[in-house]
Parts: sequence; structure tokens; C-alpha cells
Amino acid sequence: MLVRLHPSIALLLLLVLGCNSKSSSADGPKDKVIQVVRNIGGRAGFQKHANAWKAAFERANPGWRMEIIDLGNSDASESYKAKIASDDLPEIVQTWSFTPLLADGGYLVPIRDGFYDKYGITKPAPYKGKWYTSQSGTQIMGIAVNRDLCAKAGVTQPPATWGELTADLDKIKAAGIQPIAYGGKEWSAGQFLGYLLQMSLYSKPENPSWTKRRDSGAITFANDPNAKACIQAAIDFLTKYAQKGALSDGYNEEQRDFYGGKAAMWLMGCWIGGDIEPNKVAFNVDYWPIPSLNSGPPKFLACNLQNGWAVTTKAKGEALNKSFAVLDAFYQPDVYQLFVNAEAMFPQASKVAVSGPKSDWKPAQHLYDSMAANFKKYGGITGELIALDDQWPDSFGGTLTRVAQEILSGNTDQQKLLQMMDDDWDSARKAN
Amino acid sequence: MGRGRARLATLILTGPAALLYLAFFVAPALLGFGYAFTNWNGWTKTPSFTGLANFKEMLHDERLLASIVFTLKETVGVVIAFTFGALILGVLLDRVRRLKGLVRALFFYPYILSILISGLLFQYLANYREGAINVVLRNLGLGSWTQDWMGDPKLVAYFIFALIVWSSVGFFSTLYLAALQSIPSELFEAAEIDGAKAVAVFWHIQAPLVRSTRNLCLMLSVIYGVNLFGQIVVTTQGGPGYRTSTIGYHIYWLGVLNNRQGYAASISLAVCIVLAAIAILQQRLVAGKNVSSL
Repeated sequence: MLVRLHPSIALLLLLVLGCNSKSSSADGPKDKVIQVVRNIGGRAGFQKHANAWKAAFERANPGWRMEIIDLGNSDASESYKAKIASDDLPEIVQTWSFTPLLADGGYLVPIRDGFYDKYGITKPAPYKGKWYTSQSGTQIMGIAVNRDLCAKAGVTQPPATWGELTADLDKIKAAGIQPIAYGGKEWSAGQFLGYLLQMSLYSKPENPSWTKRRDSGAITFANDPNAKACIQAAIDFLTKYAQKGALSDGYNEEQRDFYGGKAAMWLMGCWIGGDIEPNKVAFNVDYWPIPSLNSGPPKFLACNLQNGWAVTTKAKGEALNKSFAVLDAFYQPDVYQLFVNAEAMFPQASKVAVSGPKSDWKPAQHLYDSMAANFKKYGGITGELIALDDQWPDSFGGTLTRVAQEILSGNTDQQKLLQMMDDDWDSARKAN
Repeated sequence: MGRGRARLATLILTGPAALLYLAFFVAPALLGFGYAFTNWNGWTKTPSFTGLANFKEMLHDERLLASIVFTLKETVGVVIAFTFGALILGVLLDRVRRLKGLVRALFFYPYILSILISGLLFQYLANYREGAINVVLRNLGLGSWTQDWMGDPKLVAYFIFALIVWSSVGFFSTLYLAALQSIPSELFEAAEIDGAKAVAVFWHIQAPLVRSTRNLCLMLSVIYGVNLFGQIVVTTQGGPGYRTSTIGYHIYWLGVLNNRQGYAASISLAVCIVLAAIAILQQRLVAGKNVSSL
């Protein structure tokens, strides 16, 4: 009976009703919003693109709003899991490597038929027979090079092997120049080790892939001679070229050293291209392919997996149509141009009139041109990103960071470091 | 007031808090216990039941063992600092006669800062290139003394310990201070007449009469040490490598960063049981030994 309702329960009910009425009372505005995740953080280029995307959608869909949820630099995995737990996933999410987790959890709506054809996008491999994500652009991984500093040390051409790369770094060091921009505190610490492993373990297509063989137990890091050679190369690399106190530095310090013209090379992905103009970098940066340890030709790491943005099951009815309209707005030429500029990616939508990243800032344009020319010349391999069900465990990037930190801490025991990688791999696989 | 009205008043006053406690503490804890027997990764809607597999894995988890060892080492330091160090600090603060409010506030002040702020502050102090410690050393011409305070595996544990002590010793010494101030002044006057020195006063009057507070500090500091987490997340994230991973951080690393919520929940459950056992044991050991504070 209502009269016997406990006052505290009544209070709680009132609170709940109050919250609900607030969210449902706003007839139009709340219902006509599509929430979209984007990792803007402090990146001016990303913000510019997000603003243009929002404007394009709202122009084409009067009465509807696009709300950007800025992830900043926070961990998307954490954020998505929290939103799943509170049943609050936005209508559109950036997927990165989470496509399998989101799809397996039943949170993604497959992309509509004809979507890829409409924009001339090469269809990526399906995941369990389905396609979920808009394909934004091709990201390439290589080595950013301060042309002037390297030239001072007599280094002018991309090295053909890892041995040549270290010989170049020796020359740079001997010339009194900081060879690499490197910090050991954050995720970026493991980037070079990822390069080493991918160029050596995945240099040519194999069936089954190294990843599949590792998963089946046919091979481990600890017993693979190539992996051993990689870890030894990593030990030598950090011992010789990382600055004292590198464990205090993170990605920001790496940026400062490289954009500030202090460090000659930076083993970092193409996204750095979007930061050249905002940071007013005044010197020319070249982008070189990654040399291999096992004498294969240098290549860039590039892939065409399902990633980009995907519509979630939160979008229903008209909101579902409008969510796909948000993905359409992404490919408006002015919006798409800003996207490839900010990410320094190569466009994947061949029917959209965007040929590549562009900038009025000469050093930025120089870098974009260098990326395009060298990618054409040297080409790329997919590395470990073979397919959504054939790639490293989601958290393995974190392991590489820890391994690099161990080396910086003075641990040069090959077997222990390789065992650390095996242990983390096995643990992470139990999560899927 | 009739019994019925009193009961109603009790329900009205305690009901909302009890409901919130049930919703936000008891229910998640029970859910967590449930997840301990699954392989839930945090993404799927329906976790699969795996029985005792998580608990079996725990027995061979070397990284968990390393986290336990590191946590215990820090806990020993924390217990000594907060149970005995804080007592000495409390006694000294009790003797301050001038500006005593200011001096006590200065020691208590770090405790009111959030862990995030304290952690970031220490991280800044420790930075090799621009941290205050190394900047001062370089300016004093002692550049060779500069260290990567939080990067050097030999130093990082001490630096974390310093952060913990700096941020919380004021709280524990304030507990002692309150107990010390409740000791009747006649006892000190009698001791003075008998010619007792400061050490004797401490040993024979103050220390016995704050025993119940000491037991409280002992229990709180054990819990504080075993639960070390925030300081680690903000400063080292368990690094370099996994060298400063505490049990709390290991649970977070597994559950949040490695998508192994089920296994992380099983470790949480095990830690909860062990902590409860320690608390009961501690209570039994100190029961009966308490001397009333008068």
C-alpha cells in the first residue's frame, strides 16, 4: 500500500522519476541528438575537423544535432566499458582495435549495403562475415626524420637495414646531436619495439601467421630466434640511444624534442603530420620506411582492417538513419579533407575529391609529400594487423611499453624479457 | 516517544543511507563475487561460468606474487610510519607551544589534498629533466647527484613511500594528538614532581594511555598499505616494467587494461577474505590488552 511505502524508498523513487522526467521531457533537443565519439584532446586539427563534420551533418539534417564526445587522451577501452555498464553507449563510436569486442558484445549495427561503393572505399576483410565500420583513411607507420639535423651528420637516405639505421644513429650521436626523440613513461615507449617485431616476424605473408602459430603454442617469443634477435636489437637500441632520465618522459616530451629541432629521428606513426602546422615546426621533416632486422627491404606498416566509426545498437528508428547520415557527412569533401590533414592519412574514399593531406604551412606539406612519395616507392606491409581475428592481443601494446621500461631499468636478460611477453600474451588471450 | 514512532524515525533517518550503501557498495561487491567465478571480459553481456579456474590460475600467477611482495614491503613501511612514526610526531606536536594551530595544520594539510594532486606533485618533483629536486641540485652545482627518482628501480619504491608518508602521516598523528590531549594533566604534574624526564613521561604515561588509538592506527595502516592503488595509478602505473605494481594496481591492470574482469574479481575476492581474516586476527590479538584511556 502506498501509505505504508517506506519514506526512503519514496524519496528514491522521486529521485529516479525526477531524473527520468528530465531526460524525457525535452521533446525535441534530447531526442534529436546523435552522439559521436572523437579523441580530440588538445589537437587543433582534430577539433577543426570535428567542427566541420558537425556543421555538415546539421546543415544536411535540419532539426538534428551532432554532439561530439571528446575522449581526449583517455583510455577508450575504459570509457566504453563504463558506458556499456551504464547502458549509455553513444550512437556512434570510434572503434580502433575494439571492433571485435564491440561486435561480439552485440553493440554494433552492420554498415549498410552499398556504403563502401558509394564512396569508392575498398572493402576491408569482414569480421565473422560482417562489416561494421566506416573506413576513414590509411594510416602508415614509419620514421620521422629531421632532415637538417641528419644532413649535418651526413645521413641523407633511408637505411636499408636495421644495422644501417643504427650506424646512422651512431653518426648522428657522434656529431653531438640527440639521435632519437624517446620517452619511456607512456605507450609511445613500445612503438619502436612494435616496429622491430612486426618488420621481422611479419615481413612476408605466411599461413598460418606468426600470431596464429603463437596462439596455437607452436611458437613462443622465448623460443623464436627472430624474436630473440628483436629483443637484443631493442636492448642495444635503448642502451645506446635513449637519453638519461628517459623514464621520466612521455609522448609530450618526445614531441617537444622532435618539433623543437633537438632530436634527429622519431619512430612514430603518420599522425604526427597533423601536428606540424599547429606546432609551427619550421624545418623540413622527411618520412622514411622502417628497416628490417632480417635483411628484408624497408617498408611502411599500413593496414586495411575494419576501423573508423561504427553505429551502435543505441541508435534506433529515425536516429539509426541519422546515425548513418553522420557517417555520410564525414565524406563531404571539405570535412574529409580536414580529417586527412589532421591525421596525415591517405584517403581511402576514391570517389571523394580528396587526394591527400594538404597544408599551407610549407614544412607540413613537405612531410605529407615525403610520406606519399616514399610510401609509393617502398610500399607497406600489414604487420601484425592481418585481420580482426588475426592480430596481437588488444593489450599487447602495453606489454611492449613495459618491456621497454624494463630495459631502461637495466634489465638486459633476453629470456626474462621474452618470457614477460609470452606471459602477457597468454594472459591477454584469456580475455577473449 | 512510542516504540513505533522511534522505529519510524530510525527508518527515516537511516533508510536513505542504507539504500545508497546497498546500491553502491553491497550490490557491486556481491556482483563482483559472482564475476569471480566467470571469464567476463567487461564487454560481453553474459559472462561464462568457469568454476574455480580463476582461483587455480591465481596460484601460479607470478606477477600477482610480485605485486603481493611489493605491497607487503610498502605495507610494512606504512605500518611503522603510521603506527609508531605518527605517534612520535603526535607527541612532538603536542609539545608545541607557539603557533601550534599553524604547525599542526601544516602537517595535516597534505591529507586534505586528493591523491591525484599529491601524486602529480610528487611526479613533478621527481621528473629527471624539469623536476624541482633535480633543478635545485643542478643550481647548487650538484648535477652529478641528479636521479630519475621515479624511473630508477632502486629509488622508486622509496619515493612512493615518501609520497604516502607525506600525504597521510598528518591524519594519523592527529588521531594520536586527540588521544594525548585527553590524558589528565594531573598525571603530568605528578610526573614532574617525581622528576620524570620526557622519555619516561612518554614511556610510562603517554604510550600506555594511547594504546587503543595505536591499535586503531595499526589496523587502519594495514588496510591503507594493502589497498595502495591511487598513488600508483597517478605516478608510476606500476612501472618501470611491473616493478611497483601493488595488488590493487594488478587488479586494475587485469580488469580494466587487460579485459579480464572475471579474473580480477577473483583476486579481489581473495584479497577481501585475507584482509577480513587479518582484521579479525588483529582484533583478537589486541582484545583484552587495551588500557582504557580513562
